[in-house]
Amino acid sequence: MLGKEIFSREWWEFLDVLVEKELRMRYKMAIFGFAWIFINPIIQMLVMGFIFQFFVPVKTANYFEFLFPGLLVWNFFSYTVLKNTPIFIGERALLKKANFPKETIVLSVVIVNLLNFLLALMVFVTFEWLVLAEIHWWRWWLLPGIMLWLTVLTTGLSLLFSSLNVKWRDVNYGVQALMPLWFYATPIVYSIDLLPKWAAGFVYYNPMTAIVEILRWVVIGTPVGWVSIWVSILSTLIIFVVGWVVFKNNSSNFDDWL
Amino acid sequence: MTGSKKNNEVHVQLTDVYKRYSPAVGSHLRNQKTRLVLSEVTIEINKGERVGLIGSNGAGKTTLLKVIAGISKISSGKLVVNGRVNSLMELGAGFYPDLTGRENILLNGMLAGASRKEVRRSMNDIIKFSGIAKFIDYPFYTYSAGMKLRLAFSVAIHASPDILLFDEIVAMGDEKFIKTFQDYFSRVLKEKKTVIFATHVLDVLPLYCNRVIWMDEGKVRMDGETKKVIEKYKKEMKKRKDDS
Repeated sequence: MLGKEIFSREWWEFLDVLVEKELRMRYKMAIFGFAWIFINPIIQMLVMGFIFQFFVPVKTANYFEFLFPGLLVWNFFSYTVLKNTPIFIGERALLKKANFPKETIVLSVVIVNLLNFLLALMVFVTFEWLVLAEIHWWRWWLLPGIMLWLTVLTTGLSLLFSSLNVKWRDVNYGVQALMPLWFYATPIVYSIDLLPKWAAGFVYYNPMTAIVEILRWVVIGTPVGWVSIWVSILSTLIIFVVGWVVFKNNSSNFDDWL
Repeated sequence: MTGSKKNNEVHVQLTDVYKRYSPAVGSHLRNQKTRLVLSEVTIEINKGERVGLIGSNGAGKTTLLKVIAGISKISSGKLVVNGRVNSLMELGAGFYPDLTGRENILLNGMLAGASRKEVRRSMNDIIKFSGIAKFIDYPFYTYSAGMKLRLAFSVAIHASPDILLFDEIVAMGDEKFIKTFQDYFSRVLKEKKTVIFATHVLDVLPLYCNRVIWMDEGKVRMDGETKKVIEKYKKEMKKRKDDS
């Protein structure tokens, strides 16, 4: 039987094999293969940057560099949660083969998307460095912390939604409806000071707001709301714990619903 | 001393096991009561026993295997499984259609409980034993049902399991596969592996099994020597047919 203790050697090994599988599967039959990691966000940035700079009066020297950090964070978050929510149904062939630590399925998606995110971010930073502006290198030391924070939030929501979706398939549709709304409730294409007061208060306490703003602070030095950081860290932890507990209580019964 | 030694010999032990399925929330079945698929199941299987599992469709054979494999969780009772379990139940379970046979071996071997090193070491043996070396670098979706079965079987037995669970699918193989399967069974005999084998093909049971468990509506109807159980089972089936 596969070593079930979390973080045991077998556990890491299995996770590693799943990550490798995920990478292989994703770009297997695509001619451009891994290039899609870069093509996608660049096209997205060009389109959105082109459109929104006419509508959103953000006071910044370059709207593209304002937009890009937030967009990358958002892409990682939304792709991962959207892919993970129905994942236990998609991977039922694995679940019907053996008893193994099922959280590795969710984590493998998180890790692969995190790699994509980091690669895209590196390209952006290089671009910044060569073409646009000076880089505040000392601020980049915060990056590992930001990534961890974002990853914990994403993993917590992924575990929560994927576990609930096994029994209640409505969850998947709900998440699909929620994501576009959440995108506009996060200051990605706009900055929070452009909002009317009531809307700003709402957006301020969105856990994604602080993550997007702090990465933008690292890149171009725009301001961050300190209270929103603490609110976000706290809600991240709560979401993760709830997600983990729901997953733990339900994972051994997944087979009954698949 | 003797007591503990005897305990090591028991590979699978179920004591008063129940398994209920609740109806799916959103389906048209949502107003139905929970379905009892296993009830009062008490079975003890010793190391090296080869047990056949018979019973009509829906008698609980597959659920019993799933429970032993740890895929499904029992609702109440006690379950003890000593040793590494590998199951061969749904064709293609644990295999990804888009990955090649070779790529699938690693993941599937690890699902079967082997370490990455073990799987890599036995990779060539697995491919050779499967008899589909020619196609091993083609995607899994290009395989015929027989080839899928061969590969899955090969991976299963190379992961050095202590307890092997087979469901109906073994009957899907061609003659050559049945031969491989029989050869493997005679080897199992020597290696003292525990095998549990669910099937509707009663004639093959005496070849493989020294004990048969007859499941009926979730309960153990009879448990004993192969020929006796089959005889009783056949008689009952005939009676049921005549009655209806």
